[in-house]
Amino acid sequence: MNAPAGLQQLPLAFTLNERLDFNLFVAGDNAAVCGRLQELAAEGRGQVYLWGAPGSGRSHLLQATCQLAGQHQLRAAYVPLAQFAAHGPGLLEGLEGLDLVALDDLQTVAGQDDWEQALFGLYNSLRDAGRAFVAAADSSPRGLALELADLRSRLGWGEVFHLQPLADDDKREALVRRASARGIELPDEVAVYLLRRTVRDMAGLMAWLDHLDQAQLAAQRRLSIPFVKSLLQESAPPGPGAD
Amino acid sequence: MSKSIWEYCQERLEGELNPQQFNTWIRPLQGVEDNQGLKLLAPNRFVLDWISEQYLGRLQQIVSDIRDDDFQIRLEVGSHSSTPAPAGNHQQQQPEKSAAAARPLPQNGIKHTNNLNPDFTFDSFVEGKSNQLARAASMQVTENPGSAYNPLFICGGVGLGKTHLMHAIGHAIQQHKPGANIAYLHSERFVADMVKALQHNSIAEFKRFYRSVDALLIDDIQFFAGKERSQEEFFHTFNALLEGQHQIILTCDRYPKEVNGLEERLKSRFGWGLTVAIEPPELETRVAILNQKASRSRVHLPDEVAFLIAKRFRSNVRELEGALNRVIANSNLTGNPITLEFAQQALKDLLLLQDKQITTENIQKTVAEYYKVRVADLLSKRRSRSVARPRQMAMALCKELTNHSLPEIGDAYGGRDHTTVLHACRKIAELRGTEHKVEEDYNNLVRILTT
Repeated sequence: MNAPAGLQQLPLAFTLNERLDFNLFVAGDNAAVCGRLQELAAEGRGQVYLWGAPGSGRSHLLQATCQLAGQHQLRAAYVPLAQFAAHGPGLLEGLEGLDLVALDDLQTVAGQDDWEQALFGLYNSLRDAGRAFVAAADSSPRGLALELADLRSRLGWGEVFHLQPLADDDKREALVRRASARGIELPDEVAVYLLRRTVRDMAGLMAWLDHLDQAQLAAQRRLSIPFVKSLLQESAPPGPGAD
Repeated sequence: MSKSIWEYCQERLEGELNPQQFNTWIRPLQGVEDNQGLKLLAPNRFVLDWISEQYLGRLQQIVSDIRDDDFQIRLEVGSHSSTPAPAGNHQQQQPEKSAAAARPLPQNGIKHTNNLNPDFTFDSFVEGKSNQLARAASMQVTENPGSAYNPLFICGGVGLGKTHLMHAIGHAIQQHKPGANIAYLHSERFVADMVKALQHNSIAEFKRFYRSVDALLIDDIQFFAGKERSQEEFFHTFNALLEGQHQIILTCDRYPKEVNGLEERLKSRFGWGLTVAIEPPELETRVAILNQKASRSRVHLPDEVAFLIAKRFRSNVRELEGALNRVIANSNLTGNPITLEFAQQALKDLLLLQDKQITTENIQKTVAEYYKVRVADLLSKRRSRSVARPRQMAMALCKELTNHSLPEIGDAYGGRDHTTVLHACRKIAELRGTEHKVEEDYNNLVRILTT
């Protein structure tokens, strides 16, 4: 039953935490890197560097790698540098004792002397101890604004993968899979509709998914084209657009 | 087997926290149960404080759900080395993988490991014009450690093999004199260990340890720059070792006199022995390096592929090895043999390095130039074939190469509707299948825009 006009169900501020694992990741043209990361998470050794545009799945892949390493009884840490750049590199201390370290958003600390030295030290220690190191950024090691040439050359030493953007069909698949992991029933045609009329980057699409989830709970309606259409007309697009 | 308390806590938290919180804070913790309760080991102070503020309360609650008694959770910084290793992993390196071994901080009763990488030997070092002299000097040192050239100072740019030579000397000395005490470390590790020793009042042990080794190998000494206290300590270590005729080998990314922030007395001492430089490898050496690396990985590398990689990756050996690793990984994962075409495909993104951003404006400009029309024409309302086709092409490229939404693309073309964009994309897709010229134009434009 629909809620009467003007009286909306207040949705709880609670989202189902989907597991960011490899099953949830739509690989598209990135099958090779997915395969490599799964190997690395199982063995706890090796070095991979990922780069790609925002929304290309860097953070998802890094976390899926940590999650899988955990299943193999390895100790892993996912370090989102963008969030902690201001706190200084103390966060990296002692991480060389873990089996796998995944560093995200390397570009946010590039050019900062203390961070670069700490990253260099961590890299060397992990490599010397034969442990796994995964890093991700928005550009290749050559393109990063690093001051420390030693760090740049080491980042390019392992396997460097450029994450390829998903084709629209894969984006639709990713959207549907992600929705289903959150317990949202998103019909295919609604996903196609969203892709044609809203944003096409994955981060933006995920923001729309959150928005739709809240809206359907509030209105107690299923996600259908007419419902989504009415939402598009009445509301501004949710952030983040590009990222 | 029943779950440990820590496993139970992890499982509960994994369901409650978002994946990022769990992966960042909970996953790196190590849980050790003892008769006092559950001890959680955090890798550093930062993580410990964060756990204490954000999650400790919740953890206590979870534990109280399954334990009635006064079961306590304690937080400490550290690592417990007796964690069982996962089956099949790390066997050969296991003895060296404890935290103590990874850091050669001298402590009573701890047997020091030399940190030498078993892969870096003289046998695996590929000699070429660029590194001949450095290799010869290194060989000399292994025959007469402590006297021939002391210190041996190897300098050169990043990724040219300085560290490899240094480890090779270490291995050779050890072969000649089994039981020799050899210490290899990065200079920043020397600094960090010294700081720790100062904090823990164990500086005397630190000094005793480093002054007693048979050979001290310190990598990348440029990182000593500006660290006066470390330079001071290193100066005395250096003198003590030299006096006792123990070998010192140092590497640096430049000549000693060019390192800013290094004390003069150190610069002058570094010049007492022999300074040798390594230059970037020439093409033939690069090919030889690739072949050697491939054969060590038991991979067949056709000559044309070795030349392709060697020609395109020239600045340093790490880059070269990185490219080869990438080809091998792709081949292992897909099961395809390594051919020229396969390698080109595998290295496509490394070769193209699409660092430059592709924007709608850039596409409009490039397409307009290509078809010899004006950008204003593309944005205008004109619908003659000479303008409409390039416009459709540009729209199709915007959809393919950027992440802009269809309404945004429509807007960028004089405020057109998203259905017009959709129509343009379908039209171009259809024409590419039927008209050779359109297919060729499309491919040319993609190439211009992405290289």
